Amino acid sequence: MEKDLYEILIEYILEDQNRFYRLAYSYVQNKDDALDIVQNAICKALERYETLRDAGAVRAWFYRILVNESLAVLKKKKEVPLPDDGAGGEIPYHEKGYEIQDDLYEQINRLNEEVQTVIKLRFYEEMTLQEIAQITGANLNTVKARLYRGLKTLKQNIQEVDA
Amino acid sequence: MTQISDAKKRYDEIPIPEELSGVVRSAIDYSTVRKKKIRKRQKSRMGKKVLAAAAAVAVMFTLGLNTSTAFAESMGELPVIGPVARVLTFRSYEKTTEDLSISVDIPSVEMIGEDSGLADDLNEEIYARCEEYAQEAVQRAEEYKEAFMATGGTEEEWAAHNIEIKVWYEIKSQTEHYLSFAVMGTENWVSAYNETRYYNVDLSTGKTVTLQDLLGDDYIRIADESIRKQIQERSSAGEAVFFTEEEGGFTGITEDTKFYINEAGNPVIVFDQYEIAPGSEGMPEFEIVKE
Repeated sequence: MEKDLYEILIEYILEDQNRFYRLAYSYVQNKDDALDIVQNAICKALERYETLRDAGAVRAWFYRILVNESLAVLKKKKEVPLPDDGAGGEIPYHEKGYEIQDDLYEQINRLNEEVQTVIKLRFYEEMTLQEIAQITGANLNTVKARLYRGLKTLKQNIQEVDA
Repeated sequence: MTQISDAKKRYDEIPIPEELSGVVRSAIDYSTVRKKKIRKRQKSRMGKKVLAAAAAVAVMFTLGLNTSTAFAESMGELPVIGPVARVLTFRSYEKTTEDLSISVDIPSVEMIGEDSGLADDLNEEIYARCEEYAQEAVQRAEEYKEAFMATGGTEEEWAAHNIEIKVWYEIKSQTEHYLSFAVMGTENWVSAYNETRYYNVDLSTGKTVTLQDLLGDDYIRIADESIRKQIQERSSAGEAVFFTEEEGGFTGITEDTKFYINEAGNPVIVFDQYEIAPGSEGMPEFEIVKE
């Protein structure tokens, strides 16, 4: 039983690793930090796998660790701004012909952390509000409130751009 | 909102670096190897190693005090803790190899004017634990390298990891009655094994102070009530997030709960990262004011 959960967890990690990386990257916007986050999240998850009680909940359980890890790195980076030696600053990925629509993606990243987490999990990862509540440790109403707050802010900003 | 789907498209197009699968693989290998090791170790207990280390310390102490001139010279700059005790760096070394760099500062407590050897047991324990942590951390780094190379990593890529291991200490408070300090170990590549131990010494007896000594026989109830209240206050003020009990949050302290003593002489209970709150909260602290 115990062994099964460990194996299920590993299979899940191998399968969804690209998703983990994208989510981590969306917070820190650079490759090295994103890789560190994924690595730490996996180590922590495997170390604490006993706290995963139900194989069906593996995604929400893992994302919780991943999101916490991402936010912790983000918090740390804010406290200690890195000297701008040029090595850390990666050029964001751009595709031609996107200039205007691109704004929404950037704006989501500028939202307050709790709000952007809800938006990202809801729209990028297509999770249910219930799952998001489990991941963020907030109750369902709080998650809804954050979602609407986020959408409202985004709508306002876009109108400003359009006007 | 069609633009949300554009944002999602851009998100989905975040390029996946080549290294990712290697990093994932080595994290899994590393954790799995470690899990097996812990199992094995639990079976055959590790008392022997610690005892051997403690025996070595006894010799080291005498040698250190009598022969090291650096040791004697640095005495003058040591932080003096009140009139009766002080904490000094007993052993300090730094080492950089191709694979990693390590820096270790091991403290020891000296009771001034006391030759009764009250602090000796404590010093031996601190020394043994510091050395053990440093050794384990080096071993972890070596295992990690092994896993990293086995999954196709190169020496240059490895060198870029800049593995750093650090053991050091910090004095929390020094009062007439108590001396309280923290000994910490960290590895920069994985935060999961960071460790902080607190040492609280009663200066009149040289013994370790317990929560019971500070708060009385009813210490569990007093601390639990105070922590629950503070959790609630911080949550509702929006200052911090804690897990609920169902999520694995705070369920009450035990006699082994970690704490240090602050300048006011009050115990400050400290929880590990992830113990009762999301990792972004760091290590939550709660000062317990005596009733």
